[in-house]
Amino acid sequence: MDLLSNLYLGLSVAVSLQNLLYCLIGCMVGTLIGVLPGIGPVATIAMLLPITFHLPPTASLIMLAGIYYGAQYGGSTTSILVNLPGEASSVVTCIDGYQMARKGRAGAALSISAVGSFFAGTIGTIIIVMFAEPLTRMAQKFGPADYCSLMALGLVAAVVLANGSVLKAIAMVFLGLLFGLVGTDVNTGAQRFTFDIPELSDGIDFAPIAMGLFGIAEIVVNLERRMQRSGAIKVTSLWPTREEIRRAWPAVMRGTALGAILGVLPGGGPTLGAFSAYTLEKKISKRPEEFGKGAVEGVAAPEAANNAAAQTSFIPMLTLGIPSNAVMALMVGAMIIQGIQPGPEVMTKKPDLFWGMIVSMWVGNLMLVIINLPMIGMWVKLLTVPYRFLAPAILLFCCVGAYSLQNSTFHVMQVAMFGVLGYIFARLGCEGAPFLLGLVLGPQMEEYFRRAMLLSRGDPRVFIERPISLGLLIATAILLVLMALPSIKKAREEAFQEEES
Amino acid sequence: MNRFLSKDFLSGLMFIGFGLFVLYFGQKLAVGTSVRMGPGYVPHMLSYILLVLGVLICVIALYAGGETVEAPKWRPITLVTVGIVAFALLLESFGLFPALVALVIIASLGGDEFKLTEVVGNVVVLTILCILVFKVGLGMNISVLQGVW
Repeated sequence: MDLLSNLYLGLSVAVSLQNLLYCLIGCMVGTLIGVLPGIGPVATIAMLLPITFHLPPTASLIMLAGIYYGAQYGGSTTSILVNLPGEASSVVTCIDGYQMARKGRAGAALSISAVGSFFAGTIGTIIIVMFAEPLTRMAQKFGPADYCSLMALGLVAAVVLANGSVLKAIAMVFLGLLFGLVGTDVNTGAQRFTFDIPELSDGIDFAPIAMGLFGIAEIVVNLERRMQRSGAIKVTSLWPTREEIRRAWPAVMRGTALGAILGVLPGGGPTLGAFSAYTLEKKISKRPEEFGKGAVEGVAAPEAANNAAAQTSFIPMLTLGIPSNAVMALMVGAMIIQGIQPGPEVMTKKPDLFWGMIVSMWVGNLMLVIINLPMIGMWVKLLTVPYRFLAPAILLFCCVGAYSLQNSTFHVMQVAMFGVLGYIFARLGCEGAPFLLGLVLGPQMEEYFRRAMLLSRGDPRVFIERPISLGLLIATAILLVLMALPSIKKAREEAFQEEES
Repeated sequence: MNRFLSKDFLSGLMFIGFGLFVLYFGQKLAVGTSVRMGPGYVPHMLSYILLVLGVLICVIALYAGGETVEAPKWRPITLVTVGIVAFALLLESFGLFPALVALVIIASLGGDEFKLTEVVGNVVVLTILCILVFKVGLGMNISVLQGVW
């Protein structure tokens, strides 16, 4: 079968010395920023985007992917030992993980979450392999109108899961789309919103925007509130008891399944997966009273779920070129920097990159178990580094990175500008993720829209006459209507309140 | 509570502002027809939608109220921004090292604890790290001290 030869190709790419090295770097950096509260994978990947410009495409994507799922591993360490979520996706792990640690079961909680994550990551990778080909083949039948509708669906779905007001999130998408229009119009060559600045004629660069919106704004918000650190709990034995294993493995299975499904959905991802898995475990458990007091299931399920979701959220990006969350939007950005147009052609035109990246995710997961468990003491020590050392370092990397894009200080200025804008967004409660998705999809969406309208001779009915496009638009409409229903609105608000508390 | 100072109302205003900005600066771009779209077609379409959304958000915010916006603390955002701008201005004429020193010191002033010895230590570590990563590791053509190295 083709699949095996593809996997073999992927394996041969993934285990080349160079790619193994970048995979390791990615996993280490991911674990590092996962452990450290106050910097997340979005900011880190944004910061490293310009650096990837100097690397070969496969190596850079492998490294960035490693940061993303490495952060899921690292985040749980902080949650369990310090009761501080290193990442948004490990917020729920704090609840039972820290309680387990206080009972002297810190080592067991850590090893269950690492092994559970590894299992989930393996399954997630298998799912990507299985779905990649059929989805890609389906996507190749898409016409311009279908693509345009697919992007609309992706954008709307991303909005549904954004925190806070839906209307504001939709407006942020449109704002992102508008920023995406800056530059030379491909069809006519006209300059749009470039204000005679030559650097803007190729379009507004993606990396400085992401660095400003996520990196700089995050630093400023963190500097505003004092970061408090409590001491970490000492880890003794890493081995779980037989009873703990017996209770953990079904939870890992359920968490993996739930996370894998939620990860594929546009707008889904690790955080959503972890929360849903925790809720599910609490509902079906025979001993719900134990939750919040150190239940093994409350650690195993969300940790498996966030890692499974981190893996499967690659599916829409790799096959359709549609990012489902902010990290995937950055991955799309990284591909564009390398001159690769994300979409169904990636698999056929660059099979080594495609399969190499997928297999490297599994290799990376294996590395992470090894990095995380025996070296746990080292990561815990990092927690004692105060934020006042970290903030200038992150800023500096953003600045040098932005400069290195085209050796121009214009990009550094752009970082400063978008830092201010990102700060305003944060103050006004406007999410950056929908903006970023709009920005990434904007230029393509305009292309497809104009091409579809040209083919239909200006008749907008083309979007409802093509069955694929119609189906996608109906799905979009259903999502929007669902959002407006009072009962769903309430449930959604409750879910986010739980997240914030 | 002042409804005009709610997060929602102000963000509505921001969206309206961006919409008007695009309309004003995009007025010279030809809109064209739906068959032959000019460069201005999509920007116009998007900015009208953004205006409608902005007005909607404002109106809802006035009726429903909402969270009041917190008073910003000016120090971190100002100093971080000034630090980045200083870095950009110093980098090309003086080199990486002076730019780095300026950025780290100014940004550190934005935090709530400032100890000179710590900042100096930070500068030393970051300088070594930057040279290793960017100059040695990635082979970037960037001068550490303009005219010297």
